Amino acid sequence: MSKLRDAVNKVDLKRFRFWFQLAAFVLFVYGGYLAINLGNSLPMFSCGYIREGRAGVCYLLPLQHQLARPWGQLFGYAGIAVLTGFGIFALWFIVLNKGWCGFVCPLGTLQDWLTSLRQKLGIRQSGYTHEQFRKLTWIKYVLLALLLLIPLGIGGGLWSHEVGAPFCQICPGRMVLPLFVGDFSQWTIDFSSPGKIVLTALGMGITGLFIVGAFVKKRFFCFFCPMSALHYLLSKPALLRLRKDGSKCTRCGDCYTACDMEIREIADDVTRKEIMTDDCTLCLKCVAACPEKGALKVDFANITFFESTEEGFIKRMNKGIRK
Amino acid sequence: MSEIREVPLKPAFNQSRQAREAEVMLNHIVDDFIDNPAAMTYFYDLFRHAFIEGKALDRDGPGIGTTCIQVPEELIYAAGGTPVRLCNGAYHYDQVGADFMPAKSCSLVKATLGRLHSEKAVPDVGKLELIVNPTTCDQKKKAAQMMEGMGYQVYDLDLPSAKDNEAAREYWRRVVKQLAARLQKVTGKKLTRQRLREAMAKTSRAQAAFRTLHNFRRKAPSLILGKDVFLVTNAYFFDDIERWSAAVEALNAELAQREAEAFSAVQKKAPRIVFTGSPPIFPNIKLPLLIEEAGGVVVADETCSANRMLYDMTAVDEWLVSHMIESIADKYLKPCTCPIFTRNDDRIRRLLDLVATFNADGVVYQSFAGCQVYEMEQRSVAEALNKAGIPMLYIETDYSPDDMGQLSTRVEAFLESIKTRKRQARA
Repeated sequence: MSKLRDAVNKVDLKRFRFWFQLAAFVLFVYGGYLAINLGNSLPMFSCGYIREGRAGVCYLLPLQHQLARPWGQLFGYAGIAVLTGFGIFALWFIVLNKGWCGFVCPLGTLQDWLTSLRQKLGIRQSGYTHEQFRKLTWIKYVLLALLLLIPLGIGGGLWSHEVGAPFCQICPGRMVLPLFVGDFSQWTIDFSSPGKIVLTALGMGITGLFIVGAFVKKRFFCFFCPMSALHYLLSKPALLRLRKDGSKCTRCGDCYTACDMEIREIADDVTRKEIMTDDCTLCLKCVAACPEKGALKVDFANITFFESTEEGFIKRMNKGIRK
Repeated sequence: MSEIREVPLKPAFNQSRQAREAEVMLNHIVDDFIDNPAAMTYFYDLFRHAFIEGKALDRDGPGIGTTCIQVPEELIYAAGGTPVRLCNGAYHYDQVGADFMPAKSCSLVKATLGRLHSEKAVPDVGKLELIVNPTTCDQKKKAAQMMEGMGYQVYDLDLPSAKDNEAAREYWRRVVKQLAARLQKVTGKKLTRQRLREAMAKTSRAQAAFRTLHNFRRKAPSLILGKDVFLVTNAYFFDDIERWSAAVEALNAELAQREAEAFSAVQKKAPRIVFTGSPPIFPNIKLPLLIEEAGGVVVADETCSANRMLYDMTAVDEWLVSHMIESIADKYLKPCTCPIFTRNDDRIRRLLDLVATFNADGVVYQSFAGCQVYEMEQRSVAEALNKAGIPMLYIETDYSPDDMGQLSTRVEAFLESIKTRKRQARA
C-alpha cells in the first residue's frame, strides 16, 4: 500500500494529464459515434453543437433553454424538469469538483494543447498583473448572472427568443469544438435577426480572442468561464478536494509559478485549509510542483491519494532539467 | 659563538594568526569528539588545506563573489563563472575589517571586508571578476562602496525589503534578469537554455544531497552532530559544487549505514537544539561547538550559512530561458527568511515547523552584536516560541573568543534546564 502511495506521489503528472485529457477529449468529442450518451447535464463544455460526435451535453445549453420557458410553466410543472436537470448536474459535479476543468473539459484541453504548441515554438507566456487579475476575476460571475437572467427575461416576455441560449452564442466552444468532427457550419454570422447578428458576431470575436488568448496565456478562457463560477458556488460538498497545510508551507511560490490560473493564494495563504479558489481548475500542477511533504494534498472523500513530497518534486524537476 | 641563522622574511602561512585561529577551531571540531563520520575526512581536509595551509582552491571560469544567499548561483554557473560566497567567520579578519565599519557593527560584515582587504587571504579563491552584493542589511549595503574602494568591481543586487507584495516579486524578477545580462558581459558567455539547464542540474543535485542530509537529522538519537553539518554547508561557500555534492552523497551513504546499524552519535537524552539567527561561519563555529561539547546536539538550523542557503528548491513550469530565470528569482526571494524583510512570519513558522518535525527540545538564537535585524527580531521570535512552549536561549556574541567561558556556562545551564523539563514531563 505504501509502495503504491509512493508511486502515485512520484507520478509524472504532466504525462498523466496529457493522456487522461486526450482520452477524455476523444470520449466527449467522438464518443457519440459509439452511441455513448452521458446525458444533458455534464459539468463541462462537452458541446451540444458537436451534433453526432458528442457523448453528452454541457449543462449550460439545456439550462438556458429550460429557463427560457414561459414563467407559468417554469414555476409550475416544468420546474420539476429544471430541478432534475440541476440535480443530475450537481451529482456529476460533486464527484470531480473542478477536476472537470483540469482533466475533462474539451475546451480546457484544447487550451493546454495551444500552450504546448507555444512552448514548442519557444514563445514565452504572458500573464496578468495582480491588479488586472483582481478586476478580471469577476467577469465569470457577470457572465453566469447574464446567462441565467437573459433566458428568464425571455420566459417573462421581456425580450424575444432571438437571444435564446445567449451564452452558447458567444461561447468559443460552439465554434471551435465542432471543427473536430469536420463541422464548419457554426462559423457564420446569423443574419436572421438583429439579436442574433449581435450575438453571433460577438461569438466570432470571442472565438478569435480565445485562440489568440489561449496561445499567449495559459488557460486564457477558464478565467472568464461561467461554468467555473457555477462550480465554485456548488463546491462545498464536492468529494475531490485540494487541501493545504499552512504550517508546512515555506511560501516558496513554486506552486504559484506552476499555476496556469495565476492563483496567488495557493502560495501565500497559510491559514486556509480548503485552498481551492474560484479560478482553480484542479489541474493539480501545484501539488506536483510543491517540494514540502504534505503541504498540498488531494483528497477524495477525505482520503488522501496524492500529496506533495520531496522525492516526487525532485524526480519531476530533474526530468525537466535533463530533457 | 652561535651561528647566525637566516630568518625567513615571511613566516610560513600556517604560522599566521588566521591559520592558527582556524587550526584551533578545526582541532576542536575534529579531536574533541569520537566517532566522527569517516566521510567527514573530505571536509576536514578541505578546511585544513584552505584555511590552515593557505592553499589556493582551483576554480573553473571567472570567480564571482557573493555576499549573501540571494545571488542566484545558477545564473553564475550558466554564464560560465564560479560563485564564491565571501561571508567570513574569522576573528582575525574581523579585526582587520574594524577599520572600515563603526565600532558597533556586525562581526560578519567586518570580517568579510577584512578578508577582502587582506593580501593572501584565506580561503584563497583566486581573482574575483565581480562581487554581487545583495542589498540586504544596511551594513552590507554600505559595504559595497568600501569594496569598490579596495579595487573590486561591485554589483548592487537590489533585493526588495517587503517580499510579501506582488510588485516586489515582479521587480525582483527584473533585477535578476539584469544581473543575468551583467554576468554574461563579465564572462563573455551567452546564457542559453542548455547552459541554464546544466547549471540548474548542478544546484539541484547539491540541494537534493543537502535535503537528504537534512532528513537524516530528524532521527533520534542523532546520527550526526551539528558541528559537522555546519562544516559541510560552510564548505559550499567555496568548494567545487560537483565535488561537494559527491562528498555529501558519500556522507549520506555513511549515515544510511549508521541508521541501519542503529548507531547513535550522542547520548539518548541529549537535548535536541534548533539553531537560528546569525550564521556560524568557519572558523566561528563557537556556539554550535559549545552546545555539543556540553552534551546537546544541533539537529537543525535556520541560518543563512546552512539551511536557508540550500533548502528551498526551484520549480519551473515552462523550460524557456526567461521563465527559468523568473522561477529561479522567485526561489531566492519568496521563501527567504532573512530578517531584513519587513515581516518575519515566515521565519517564525519555519522555526516552529523545524522544532516540531525534528523533535527538538529548544532553540538557541545567536545574534552577532551589531547585527540589528537579528537583535530586533529576537523579541517576536521569543514570544512565538514561548507561546508554543519551546524554550529559547538568546545569545549575543561576536567573533572574539573572549566570551567562550561565559557562554559555555549559559549553554550548560540551558541544556540542564531542558533536561529537567523533560524529566518532569516524564514524571
